[in-house]
Amino acid sequence: MQSLKTADIVTILRELKLSVENNQQLLGELDGVMGDGDLGLTMTRAFTAAAEEADRSEEPLPGKLLMRLGAVIAKAAPSTMGTLVATGFMRGGKALDTTSQLGPRELAVFFDAFVNGIMERGKSAPGNKTIIDTLYPAARALQTAAAAGETLDSAAGRAYVAARQGLEDSTQMKAQHGRAAYYQDASIGKQDGGATVGLLIVEGFYKVIVR
Amino acid sequence: MNDPRLFVDEMLEGIVVAHPGQLISVAGDLRCIVRGGDKTAGKVGIATGGGSGHLPLFLGYIGKGMLDGCAVGGVFQSPSADQMLEVTRAIDSGAGVLYIYGNYGGDIMNFDMAAELADMEGIKVEQVVAGEDVASAPKGEEGKRRGVAGIFFVYKIAGALAGEGASLAAVKKVAEKVSAGVRTMGVALSPCIVPEVGRPSFQLGENEMEIGMGIHGEPGIHRGPLQTADEIVTQITGRLLEDLPFRKGDEVAILLNGLGATPKEELYILGRKLHRILKEKQITVFHTYVGEFATSMEMAGASISLLRLDDELRRLLAQPADTPFFTQFQL
Repeated sequence: MQSLKTADIVTILRELKLSVENNQQLLGELDGVMGDGDLGLTMTRAFTAAAEEADRSEEPLPGKLLMRLGAVIAKAAPSTMGTLVATGFMRGGKALDTTSQLGPRELAVFFDAFVNGIMERGKSAPGNKTIIDTLYPAARALQTAAAAGETLDSAAGRAYVAARQGLEDSTQMKAQHGRAAYYQDASIGKQDGGATVGLLIVEGFYKVIVR
Repeated sequence: MNDPRLFVDEMLEGIVVAHPGQLISVAGDLRCIVRGGDKTAGKVGIATGGGSGHLPLFLGYIGKGMLDGCAVGGVFQSPSADQMLEVTRAIDSGAGVLYIYGNYGGDIMNFDMAAELADMEGIKVEQVVAGEDVASAPKGEEGKRRGVAGIFFVYKIAGALAGEGASLAAVKKVAEKVSAGVRTMGVALSPCIVPEVGRPSFQLGENEMEIGMGIHGEPGIHRGPLQTADEIVTQITGRLLEDLPFRKGDEVAILLNGLGATPKEELYILGRKLHRILKEKQITVFHTYVGEFATSMEMAGASISLLRLDDELRRLLAQPADTPFFTQFQL
């Protein structure tokens, strides 16, 4: 695929909904180790509502649609992770402004604003064992690929690889935020639910782009 | 109580039926409470929000001369951004909305989010985060301080100015001024219980007290044997005065706040000593508020807040207010 149009965003949201549903139990278990165990349910609620809205919406601009999906997620999933993911979509969508198609450069802009929004709202940074640790490397990889003039397929592939590596790296990190932070040293070696959600989001984009 | 899981919603149902006309819930959600009656066109709306378990905070100050709406969370939990957005929509009259809330991570994240969502809908929102608990962070790190009872003064004064039809920028400015001029410190004598948890969140011995404990049981600065009322007031007042600092010739308003299980008699005993100290320091007292303003469930203890006044703040503080939990005639 050379660029993402609004219809492709709708496809991505359907993909994300399925992916989160398929991983609902895993997310719940990951969260249950150190959080309150409702991450799987929350994310299913979030992406079900977002996919329904994407299907229903007649918004022609991808950025506007993504912003709208953020607002829908905020309402459907009023938890910390729901609010962070919602912020990502809102900020990412806003950064696209009136762009009508997303090539490698625009996708990099989207993910950069997405992860920056999460860092700002969650008052966090890479390295604290959060969703940022998969999204941030993916956004960096997209930027590098776009700057090198790579195709969208190639850029998305690099982002996906970076996010997977990010998940692996984050497993060795010490949790600093939320309930998981109470466990500090005990969190080392455990896979983080938020970082996993970040990977699923990147994966959803990747799968639709290379399909 | 009945079922701990229904603690907040049954409490809210009771409050709304007790104050018909004054309070209504919006968006089909009991946790979104706004002022009854018609909106005044051109008046800046003031919204707050925060966890339950602190009555009269936060919704208790919705009414004439103070707040317009409140998003209510579970006990000691932030309400959601969406609930804040519903309140924002309901109270905006076109002049914009000011959020005034305490400095807690969950509340900040959700109010920030609500402000961003409101902005997407064309509602102008500004925010003032109140934090004045001297015990919660040292001088120089005021931005890290927790918001406690002193937020009452921010509500009262910002609400009075908004009632006069002032602009969003002007109401925000006065709220910031109050927030910067108020200092609070408390003492806890017994812990509190979150209903759904069912046991005290910390232990405090029979003859122990903790100076500076937060209203959710956050650690204070000193735990030790129970002292007399005069000793406690001397210690707390010393810290408050040197922190701002309050100086000879200043005029202040006092808030003597019970944390939930402290009789008013005890608060007046604290107030007696406080007045003596202030008189000695040649600090004038404009008004003394005594009662429960920001509680922590059934925690025993009290907090003292001092607000430095100038002509503008004195005039606005003196104006009448009428809310379910606080009524004042012109001072």
